[in-house]
Amino acid sequence: MKHFKSLKWTLFLLGVFLLSADSIAQDYYVYVAAESDDEVSLIRFDGKTETAEIARTTEVGVFPAENEGPHGLTISPDGKYWFVSIAHGMPYGQLWKYKTGTDEFMGKVDLGLFPASMDISPATGLLYVVNFNLHGDMIPSTVSVVDYESMIRVADIETGIMPHGSRIDSDGRYHYHVSMMTDELIEINTISMEVERKLNLVSGSDKMKMDSKRMDHSKMDHSAHGSDDKKMDMKMHNPEVKPTWADPHPSKPLVYIAGNGNDEIIEIDTDKWEVNRRFKTGKAPYNLEVTHDGKLLVATYKGEAKTALWDLKTGKELKRIDMSRRVTHGVAISTDNKYAFISVEGIGGEPGSVDIINLEKMERVAVVETGKQAGGIIFWKQS
Amino acid sequence: MNINFQKGNIATLMTVLLLLTSTAVLAQERKIIIEPDPITIDVGEELQLKATLVDEAGEAQPDTVIFFSRSRRSLAVTRTGLIKGMKPGTYTVIAITVGSREQRVRKDFKVNVAFPPIASVKFLGIPENIYDRSTIDIAVEVIDEASLIRENPELTYSTSNKEIAELIHGKLITKKPGKFTITAEIEGKKATYKGEVISNPTETIEINNQTTIANTGDVINFDAVAKDRRGRTLTDVPVIYSYIAQPDDDLGNGASGQVSQEGKFVANQPGLYTLMAKSGTAFAQQIIRVEARNVKKDVEVVGHGAVLDVHTSDLWVWEGVDGRDYAVTGTWGANGDAYFWDVTDPYNITAIDTVRVDARTVNDVKVSEDGRIAVITREGASDRKNGMVILDVTNPREVKILSEYNEGLTGGVHNAFIYENHVYAVNNGRRYDIINIDDPENPVTVGRFELDTPGHAIHDVWIQDGIAYSSNWSDGIVAVDIGSNTSADMPGAGGSPENPVKLGSYTYPSGWNHAAFPFKSKSTGDFYVVAGDEAFPFGLPSRTNPVGARGWIHFVKFDGWENPDEVARYQIPEAGTHNFWIIDDVMYVAYYNAGLRIVDISGELMGNLYDQGREIASFEPNHPESLIPNTPFTWGPQPYKGYIFISDWNTGLWAIKLHDRPVSGTN
Repeated sequence: MKHFKSLKWTLFLLGVFLLSADSIAQDYYVYVAAESDDEVSLIRFDGKTETAEIARTTEVGVFPAENEGPHGLTISPDGKYWFVSIAHGMPYGQLWKYKTGTDEFMGKVDLGLFPASMDISPATGLLYVVNFNLHGDMIPSTVSVVDYESMIRVADIETGIMPHGSRIDSDGRYHYHVSMMTDELIEINTISMEVERKLNLVSGSDKMKMDSKRMDHSKMDHSAHGSDDKKMDMKMHNPEVKPTWADPHPSKPLVYIAGNGNDEIIEIDTDKWEVNRRFKTGKAPYNLEVTHDGKLLVATYKGEAKTALWDLKTGKELKRIDMSRRVTHGVAISTDNKYAFISVEGIGGEPGSVDIINLEKMERVAVVETGKQAGGIIFWKQS
Repeated sequence: MNINFQKGNIATLMTVLLLLTSTAVLAQERKIIIEPDPITIDVGEELQLKATLVDEAGEAQPDTVIFFSRSRRSLAVTRTGLIKGMKPGTYTVIAITVGSREQRVRKDFKVNVAFPPIASVKFLGIPENIYDRSTIDIAVEVIDEASLIRENPELTYSTSNKEIAELIHGKLITKKPGKFTITAEIEGKKATYKGEVISNPTETIEINNQTTIANTGDVINFDAVAKDRRGRTLTDVPVIYSYIAQPDDDLGNGASGQVSQEGKFVANQPGLYTLMAKSGTAFAQQIIRVEARNVKKDVEVVGHGAVLDVHTSDLWVWEGVDGRDYAVTGTWGANGDAYFWDVTDPYNITAIDTVRVDARTVNDVKVSEDGRIAVITREGASDRKNGMVILDVTNPREVKILSEYNEGLTGGVHNAFIYENHVYAVNNGRRYDIINIDDPENPVTVGRFELDTPGHAIHDVWIQDGIAYSSNWSDGIVAVDIGSNTSADMPGAGGSPENPVKLGSYTYPSGWNHAAFPFKSKSTGDFYVVAGDEAFPFGLPSRTNPVGARGWIHFVKFDGWENPDEVARYQIPEAGTHNFWIIDDVMYVAYYNAGLRIVDISGELMGNLYDQGREIASFEPNHPESLIPNTPFTWGPQPYKGYIFISDWNTGLWAIKLHDRPVSGTN
């Protein structure tokens, strides 16, 4: 009986603790990379006062007088590590691994040319990072696959030209990215590590969708490919959509594309592998993310220093919100869907920033300045 | 409401805890079994592995397992577990189940790719005549049946008669005339050499060097000649060179000199030296006196164009079309500015104009020989379309932007050079593009040069007499004919901007090559391509305290493009090199945290010039109010009209002048 009373008290106190912990759960943490200052900052946002500050900044890269360009960020599924792609190398970029919280450097691995955005598959536990290859030549690039526990690169999957926007669906089976210079959405099977399907995103080209598995590569002339890129016709395609991001819906077979070149958000039905809806947007949508409940889509309009909130059910733009400076970049949404954290690059010597949007009020509630050219951004935790 | 919420939370908590516990236990209890076990395959052999997920009772569980290799260039592994040996060794393969993190099972296991049997063992480098009392370097090459050279073979050596000759650590020590057999053996295969040690016919040896009074840093050639009893010169007998030092300062002094087995000696310290040459039983010695090099000069700080709020990058100084002197400096990690200065009076450096472009870093600045056109490079453009900007600097007080050019250069141009109406733009670390600027408002790319080595990278390019000298990190220095002329120090190959032709190259192990500069010694006529490093080997430096720089200057002597020979270095132990300039046998090197160093590089070069008293002067720019206060981080020098202009990352543009030191009187 005595033990039962003790247990009751313990449970009661635990309950009170959980209740109070819930009521004071107001701190949100995001990591943001400042690409032109070679640093990654941890931003702490107080949800109660809706104010933000830089909690800590970590310098990344090795050369003080060379810009090494931290670009993409992600967090391991257990929240213990954060990863940053270092875009510039000799010539290859790298993936660097740090411990969250302490920001202790853990290791690095070589990737391809100008590695950019990345995501980790819940199915394989592997990290998939696109090698954006911003180096000028219009040649196919790769998606590198990394075992982040041992920091080894286990595969390089050939993909389109200037791939970007690396995101994986909720069950971890498919990785989506776009090929910016060929106007394609590309789907990779995370298990076989092969390109499964490609979809031309240009309006009216739905019939051009390709299933790589069913393509007879043996009859193709690949002689112009490879290192001798002089043979390539570098003006072979003038991209129209210039897609820059792809984000799968958390619960439906849909993927959303930012059409940076044609000012559209494109909704793809991945079951039918065709365009479902096209939404006309503001100028140059760049990144986008669907809220975890699947209701809203938050999209940055790089060309007009705004971020837009879209109702995915109605397909209507609900609000277009001014950002604190020009060149809006990335989106990270809190796990409770209350806030969107937007990285804004700025121009030249001005600082970058993280602009924070209250998604319920649909207004910008805080701005915290970061290093120059704030780009990659990832939500870490709420506590 | 609160109570219900509490209950809900508790229930949720307990459920979550239970789930976490059970899934964790589940993941722990299950394991992957790989078959076969152990796994050994040959090079080129394929084998399909079988993976089975079993529970704690050993019962097979349905699941998908995928495989990958930790060394996929040595052991290829498909996702479904088909392995293929590419290179001998033991490699780790990882198998994981597909599924949620909590339930995922992982197994790391080893695959042994067996070394192919040895095919041949061969002695290399044995001279035709083997003389007694000599030491000869012998190499052994081991090749396997896959035609691969076996690295670090565990050879067993034996010698038939150790009183005649003995093989120790790859060196053949000959003792007296007679026949001998040496054997190197591995895995049942062996190489056997049957030879004969013959008597060294050297009766006398002479040191013919005529320089008996020299300075530190002067290279003394022994000019040793071995002769037989009839006085005939012997050309193939081994000669061993050595020396004894008696430095003036003998109080715990460091290394006093260096001797090579090609018969060259250089002293670091003043003092008396006994040079010695030996062949067989013949021996000769020569005493020489070495004095201090005495090249020191005093530095006068003439002027400072202070840039304290942003970092400064490269500089260029030129005579304008109006006959006045100007400088341009870039900025780093800032607003995309290039600053223009009037430096006609270096005591009064005056900022006269600023050009701002869409960039964060203007890393390099160059001006054409006629002083009319400048090119500045762009990195960190807001639209990510980097490249270069061409300027009209006819009037440096009103610089005009003529064109922005980024065709194929969007990744960023880090360095550039203007030569005969063409810009050589280092295109984001991969190659240089050659851009015709006959019409500077409408530049056009006419050629490019790119190496074809795996993972090649490039950092900078410098052009002289129609030959482009590029610095290529691990690919070292590369010389390319882009239109060589008759003034060129080395022969060309008919190249042009449209058709660049590679002439020669030289790599060194560190992979730190960051700059290259051609240098024909006025005093010796020798031709060098001087290579500079950039390195931060300790990694992860703090930008506010960048003292981790290392690296040195490599003097690579070319006797024909096919014969590079790295003969000397200039290495400050606790600092790191950046850009440098050479004129009239004097090197001006920006040594980052060690400031500017001015070094006498006259005469033949050998050893570490830093140790030889060759440093003429040094200057460490700093300022208490700079971005990083009181810290030199020197970017680059340019000697110009009797002054030396310097850009420093933390403090801006400086001008200094050297003055001879007054000769001390003697009583």
